[in-house]
Amino acid sequence: MSGKASLLLIMGFSLIFLVVSRNFGDVSNRAVDNFIDYHTETVAHDIAVSGANIAANNIFMDPTWDEGYDDVPFQNGTMNISVEILDPYKNIRQVTSQGTYRGYTHTAKVTLAPSKFSKFAYYSVSEGGTIWWTESDTVWGPFHTQDYLRAHKHPVFFGKATTKRSLIYYTNERTDKPYFYGGYEQGVNLPLPTNAVDDMEAIADDDGFKLSGHDTVYMTFDRDSLRYRYSYNAKNTVVYLPSAAPNGLIFAKDCVVRLNGVVKGQYTLGCSSNMSAGKGTIYLDNDIVFDKDPRIYPTSNDLLGICAENSVLITNNTPNQSDINIHGSIYCEKGGFGAEKYDTRPKSGNINLLGGIIQNTRKAVGTFDSNGLKTGFAKRYKYDERLMVASPPFFPGTGGFEIVSWYE
Amino acid sequence: MGFTTILDIIASIIIGGILMMITWRLSDAATEKTYNNSGELSLQQNLATVAQILENDFRKIGYCADWNKFPDPSKAVVFADTSNIIYLTDIDLDSDMDSIRYYLGPTSELSATPNPRDRLLYRVLNHESPLASNLGVTQFKMVYFDALGDTIYPPITVAGSITSIEINLSVESVAAYDQKYSSAFWRQIRLVARNLRNR
Repeated sequence: MSGKASLLLIMGFSLIFLVVSRNFGDVSNRAVDNFIDYHTETVAHDIAVSGANIAANNIFMDPTWDEGYDDVPFQNGTMNISVEILDPYKNIRQVTSQGTYRGYTHTAKVTLAPSKFSKFAYYSVSEGGTIWWTESDTVWGPFHTQDYLRAHKHPVFFGKATTKRSLIYYTNERTDKPYFYGGYEQGVNLPLPTNAVDDMEAIADDDGFKLSGHDTVYMTFDRDSLRYRYSYNAKNTVVYLPSAAPNGLIFAKDCVVRLNGVVKGQYTLGCSSNMSAGKGTIYLDNDIVFDKDPRIYPTSNDLLGICAENSVLITNNTPNQSDINIHGSIYCEKGGFGAEKYDTRPKSGNINLLGGIIQNTRKAVGTFDSNGLKTGFAKRYKYDERLMVASPPFFPGTGGFEIVSWYE
Repeated sequence: MGFTTILDIIASIIIGGILMMITWRLSDAATEKTYNNSGELSLQQNLATVAQILENDFRKIGYCADWNKFPDPSKAVVFADTSNIIYLTDIDLDSDMDSIRYYLGPTSELSATPNPRDRLLYRVLNHESPLASNLGVTQFKMVYFDALGDTIYPPITVAGSITSIEINLSVESVAAYDQKYSSAFWRQIRLVARNLRNR
């Protein structure tokens, strides 16, 4: 009798232990499964992102790269990468990277677009000596310099800032650290082309408007017309730009351009030099502005590129002694943007720039003392936000791509 | 009935009592362990779920299917505080920017649960009603870093200065045996939404 009871007791306890241990085992298994699922998804994601980075790097190194990769073993999983040209005209490319790990697949998509210098609010190869960006300096769009970025009392950079060389503080980080509101990267090498303006000639020959054989060209944009002459007192010749320059490029070969007017439409003016002294320079004789200011008319399509092989200078003349308004992206391949006789000309008000400045060497526009402006101009530079996605026709490109969208 | 029988009965009662005590303790211990283990499993699942949702959403900060419509991703973070963030992303891939807000509710909202520390973690898409489920979140804390990797302390006046985010998430079981709450912690040390660094 007692033996039977003992047997029942043991069997009862065994049953209870079996149920409880099975339950515990099940809980443990599900906990491990939960961890493994998260780990699997994370590794698949990491493989996909790594693949996207590898492909983007390949395209940065070789802009024609579009081979992709098939079933490449990576981190105990596989990586598949394809490159698709979304827009052949604009050369927009999309990298699709799939990372697969233990049956789980994650996809990352990266869109790349050709990079134009016109996107910069400010670009320089050389900062023209030891010039400090100070507390009164604010840059509203993308910034790049191949030189050092010298900071004094917290200058502000609202767009992404990149430099090839390092960041230098006037005193120390605490008192001088710049405010980078769009991010900052150091060690980015983005050289200025050496023959981008010369290369415009062939494009102008194709479907643009070319002027050559004269030392100086006086140009006035008159909305969708262009008035030009070759001497100060000569009579203007007028051309209707949509017919004369269907591709939007106006090219003045080996001369000096004296420019002003109102621009309607999208145009780039190129001015080259065949090593002649003073040639390849664009002088701004008066305001050069859009027909429709995008700050007032947000749907404005007006864009202007002012591309000089040497410099773009604000003329020292009567109209420019009380402010100058400039709408456009300024490109100076070998020189810089500055004011003619900046240190002897009278106080001339403000440079009201809407656009960007891309220059080889930073130039001065005025001088200051403890009382403020002494000669020349004060800077009032505003970035044209449209340049983030649009550029004047045939504006010099960096030769590479930039990431415009990242999905993961 | 002799003396031996009485001894047998007494011994049986003692042995039976001991067995009952053992069974009762076993049952109690098994209940506690089952409760705690199940609670920890739920806890881990909750934590993994919240972490996956956060990672999925935060990695898309500043993304737009049509990049021309949102050319400057540095403007994607609209508001940022320790436990409250609002940012822009094209979450449904329709090329229109959506706003997403994450914030932590007060403990008083979950006074009905035994755990006095759990809160609701809300996700608000555009102007829709806030969505939340009780996953036992007790801490949702973000630390922001600028382009040079330095910490930005709230109040953050220019949200565009944020380039990476540390996310701290603590989860506890919403109910526990004998108030012995299990807890788990997840930290994304540097979540860099790639679009914030474009261009």
